[in-house]
Amino acid sequence: MRLRKIAALSLAAAMTASLTACSSGGSDAPTATTAGAAQGETKKEEAAPTSAPTAETTAPAQKVKMTVSVWDNASSPQFQAMADAFMEKHPEVEVELIDTQADEYDNKLTVMLAGGDSDPDVIMVKNAETQVTMKNKNQILDLTDYIARDGLDLSIYGGAAEQLQMDGRQYTLPFRRDWYVLYYNKDLFDAAGVEYPSDDMTWDEFEALAKEMTTGEGGAKVYGSHNHTWMALVSNWAVQDGKNTLMNEDYSFLKPYYEQALRMQDEGTVQSYANLKTGSIHYTSVFEQQQCAMLPMGSWFIATLIQDQKDGKVNFNWGVTKIPHPEGVEAGATVGAVTPIAVNAKTDVPDQAWEFVKFVTSEEGAEILADNSVFPAISTPAVVEKLSSIENFPEDGKTALEVTSFAFDRPLDAKMAAVRKVIEEEHDLIMIGEEDVDTGIANMNQRAAEAKQD
Amino acid sequence: MTSRQKRQLKTNLVGYSFIIPNFIGYFVFIFLPVCFSFVLSVMKWDGSDAPMQFVGLQNFARLAGDSTFMISLKNTVWYAVFTVPLTLAASLLTAVLLNSKIKGIVVYRTAFFFPYVASLVAVGAVWNMLFQPEFGPINEFLKFIGIANPPKWCASTDWAMWVIIIVSVWKYMGYYMVVYLAALQGIAKDLYEAAEIDGATGFKKLRYITIPMLTPTTFFVVIMLTIQCFKVFDLIYVMTGGGPGRATNVLVNHIYNAAFVDFKFGYASASALVLFAIVLVITLIQLRGEKKFTDFV
Amino acid sequence: MNTRTSKSRVVVYGVLTFLAVGMVVPFVWMLLASFKTSNEVFGIPMKILPTAWHWENYQEIWKKIPLLVFFKNTAKLTVITTIIQVFTSCFAAYGFAKVKFKGRDILFVIYVTTIAVPWQVYMVPQFALMSKLHLTNSHLGLILMQAFSAFGVFLMRQFMMGIPGELLEAARIDGLNEYGIFARICLPLVKPGIATLVIFTFVNIWNDFMGPMIYINSTELKTIQLGIRMFISQYGADYALIMAASVCSLIPVLVIFILCQKWFIEGIAAGGVKG
Repeated sequence: MRLRKIAALSLAAAMTASLTACSSGGSDAPTATTAGAAQGETKKEEAAPTSAPTAETTAPAQKVKMTVSVWDNASSPQFQAMADAFMEKHPEVEVELIDTQADEYDNKLTVMLAGGDSDPDVIMVKNAETQVTMKNKNQILDLTDYIARDGLDLSIYGGAAEQLQMDGRQYTLPFRRDWYVLYYNKDLFDAAGVEYPSDDMTWDEFEALAKEMTTGEGGAKVYGSHNHTWMALVSNWAVQDGKNTLMNEDYSFLKPYYEQALRMQDEGTVQSYANLKTGSIHYTSVFEQQQCAMLPMGSWFIATLIQDQKDGKVNFNWGVTKIPHPEGVEAGATVGAVTPIAVNAKTDVPDQAWEFVKFVTSEEGAEILADNSVFPAISTPAVVEKLSSIENFPEDGKTALEVTSFAFDRPLDAKMAAVRKVIEEEHDLIMIGEEDVDTGIANMNQRAAEAKQD
Repeated sequence: MTSRQKRQLKTNLVGYSFIIPNFIGYFVFIFLPVCFSFVLSVMKWDGSDAPMQFVGLQNFARLAGDSTFMISLKNTVWYAVFTVPLTLAASLLTAVLLNSKIKGIVVYRTAFFFPYVASLVAVGAVWNMLFQPEFGPINEFLKFIGIANPPKWCASTDWAMWVIIIVSVWKYMGYYMVVYLAALQGIAKDLYEAAEIDGATGFKKLRYITIPMLTPTTFFVVIMLTIQCFKVFDLIYVMTGGGPGRATNVLVNHIYNAAFVDFKFGYASASALVLFAIVLVITLIQLRGEKKFTDFV
Repeated sequence: MNTRTSKSRVVVYGVLTFLAVGMVVPFVWMLLASFKTSNEVFGIPMKILPTAWHWENYQEIWKKIPLLVFFKNTAKLTVITTIIQVFTSCFAAYGFAKVKFKGRDILFVIYVTTIAVPWQVYMVPQFALMSKLHLTNSHLGLILMQAFSAFGVFLMRQFMMGIPGELLEAARIDGLNEYGIFARICLPLVKPGIATLVIFTFVNIWNDFMGPMIYINSTELKTIQLGIRMFISQYGADYALIMAASVCSLIPVLVIFILCQKWFIEGIAAGGVKG
C-alpha cells in the first residue's frame, strides 16, 4: 500500500510540475518534481556517477537523451504514455522512442546490437526467447546488482521475474504479460439463440460450438471461429498442459491440434489459412467486421477492441472468456508470453536506463499500462480491478483475467529463434495442405534437430 | 628524376585527384565492410563482442550439407532460368512492335516502363492482392473464363515462384525494352529495304535481320538480367518472405536468415561468397564476350 | 499503303494495346481500390468500379501517418545522394577511363568486384562502422553509405570509354589541362550517361526500403517507403487505405518520369547499346 501511495503522490507531483512548467516557462520544473517525487529516486540519481549530476547542475535545456526501442507505436499508445509519465518524473531525461514495425523489429534490433550502437538504451524484448541470445552475446546488462542496490521486491511479478532469470542472474524484468483468451461476438450469439461460450470448455466442445455458429454463404458467411496464421494458434494449445514445449525433440504432440485446425478449415468453420496468409488479413478486421463469432487471441487484443469501440469502429457487443483447454486440464490454464525489458550493454546512460526499466516495471508503471488496457506483468488485485473496470470492458469478462496456470508459448532458449524459423516453415506447408501432418511433423523433428546442432 | 618519370608522376597525381573524392567514400563505406565480410567467411562469429574464431573452410564445407542452402540455390537458378528468357522475349517483342513507326509511342513506352520505376513495396502489395487465391481479381477472372480450380498462387509451393517470375518480368521488361528500342534504331534502314526487294516478309525480316543484328545487345541484356536474378531479394521479401515453406527461398534470403535469425555471420558470409563467385563468373563472361562481339560487329 | 500492311498495322496496335493494358492493370486496380471501402476491395461478386467514390481515404492517410514529413525526407535524401553520386562518379570515371596512372587497373578491378556483392552481405559490418562514426539515425549516414556506389563509377566509365582518344589529345595540344578537358569536352559528351545514372540513383534511393529501415530510428527522419510499409503492417486490413498510400508514393515518381522521360530513355538506350 505504501508503494501505491508514493506512486500516487509522485503522480500528483508530476502533474503539478507540468502545470508549473506550463505557467512559468519550465525553468523551475525540475525543482518542483524533486521536491515532490519519491525521495529515494532522486537520491539515486545524485549518486549516479555518470551524466545525471551534470544534467542537474547545468541548464535544464541540457537534457539527457535516452532511446527506447518499441514496435508498432502508432497502434500501441501505452509506449508513449509510459515515456511521458517517466519524463514527467525525470524532467532531466528526454525519452525518444525508436519505432519499428512489428515484423521487422527483431532484425533491426540485431543489426543495431551487432553493430555495437549505444541506441537503443532500453530494449523492449518482443520475443522473450531472444533475450537468451542477447545475453549470450553480452549485449544486455546484468541487472542483478541494480536490483539488489535498490532493494526491489521481485515477488510482485508472481514468479515471472524468476522465470526470466538466466544462469541465476536477472538480465531483464517483466514488463507486460499476455495470455490467450477467447473473444466472442455477443450479438451473433444472441441472434443465433446460442448460449455464450462458457469459461470451462474443452477444445472439442469449442470445435462443436464453432460449427454451430457457422452460418451463411459467400460474402455473407459468418465463420464460427477464426484462426490467425501464427503457428502459436495451433502449437499453444499443445503446450497448454505444460508437459511439452516447442524445444521438444519430438513434435508429435502437435498432431491432434493440427488435425483439429485442418478439420475446422476443411469444414469451413474457420477461414482458410492460405487465404489469410496471402491476403495478409489481420484478425482485427475479421472480428471487427463480424465475420467470425469467436476468436482465440492474446489479451493484448482487449486494448485494440476498447480503442476501436471508442472510435466507433466496433458497433456490436463483444465478450471475453477463458481460453478452451485440453481434456483433463483445469479451466484457466492458459498459454502466453512475458515481454521482458532490458538495458543495452553499450548504453551511454546506464543509470537513466535503469531508472526507466525500474519505473515501467513498477506498480506505478503497471497502472499506466492498465489504464491503456494493456496487461502488465504485475497482476495485483488492484491492477486486475483497474483492468476490468475500464470503460467498455465487458462486465462478464472478468473471468478471462483469472489465470490458474500459465505456460510460456515458447521456452527461453538460445536456439528457439532458429528452431522457430524452421518449424514455422513446416507449419506453413501443413496449413496450406502441401504436406500432411505426419510428414510435416517428421520434417519438423529432423530440421529442428539440425537447427539445434550448432 | 628524368622528365619521363616526372611526367608519369604528374599523370599519377592527376589521376589520383580525379579518383579521390569517390574513392574515400567508397573505400570507407563499401570496400572496408565488404572486405570484413569476406574475412568473416572463414570465421565463426555470432555478432557479439566475443573474439571471432578462425575455422578455415569449415563454413564452406557445411554449405553442401545444408538443405536450406541447396534449396535456395536451386530456387535461384530456377528463377533465373525462367525470368531471363521471358523478360528477354517480352522486351524484344514490345521493342520490335514499338519500332514500327506507330503513333502514341510515348504513351505505350510510359505504360511499359513505369513498373520499372514504381516502388517495390507498393507494387508487392498490389500484386499480392491481385493474386489472392480465393477472391483475388485474377482468380475471379480465371473462374469467369471457365477454369474451375485456378492455382492458389502464393499459397502453393508449385505456383509461388511463378508469381515472383511473372511480377519480375512485368517489373523489369520495360527497362530492357528501352535498351532494345535504341539498338533497333541503330540498324541501318537499307538492310530492310534490300530484303524487301528480295521479297522478305515481316517475320523473315525479324528472323534474318533484326535478331542477328541485335546479338550484342541481347548478350548485354542476358548478362545484366542474370546478375540481377541472382541478387533477387527485395521482391521476394515483400511478396512471399521466402514461403510457403521454402518454396521461394533464394540465395540472398538464405544469407539474410543465416545472419539475422541464426546469428551465424561467418556462415552467412560463406554463402555470400558463393553467390559472389557465381556473379563474378557471369561478369567475366560478359567482359570477354563483349570484346568478342565488338570485334564482330 | 496496301491492305496487307494496314492489316498488319492493326495487329501491331492491337497487340501493343493489349500488352500495355496488361502492364497498367495493377496500377489501375490500385487506383480504383483506393477509392473503395476496405470491404468492397475484395467484395464478392467483384466490382470493378467503386459503388461510391471515397475521396476521404486520401484525407485519412495523411492523418494516420506523417506522409508530408516522409515525402520531404525522401526527396532530400534522393536529391543529395544523386548529386554526390553523379559528381564523384564522373570524376572517378574520367580518371579510370582517360588517365593512365599507376595502379589504375587493379583499383578498377576492385571497384567492379564489389558491384557483385549484394548489400545484405556487408550490411552488419557497414552498420558497425557507421555506428562507430556516429552516423546512424541520420540522413548524413544514409547519404554517405549510398552515394559512393561502385556501380556509378563503372557505368560512367563505360560511357567515357566511348569518347575517342584523339579528341582529348587534340584538346591537350590546344593547351587544356586534364580538368579542362574533363569539364569542357568529356562531360558534355556523356550527358546520356549522366541521365542514366540519375535515373538509377533516383529510383534506387526513392524506392529503398531496407536502408532506411535499418538506419533510421526517429520518426521525423523516416522515408516514404518505410511509411508505406509501416502502414501496411499496422493497418493490415485497410486495403483501401494501403492502396491510397501506395498511390501517393507513386505519384512523385510518375511525375518525374513523365517530365524527364526523354533523358531517361536516351540515357538507358545509350548505356545499353554500349554495354
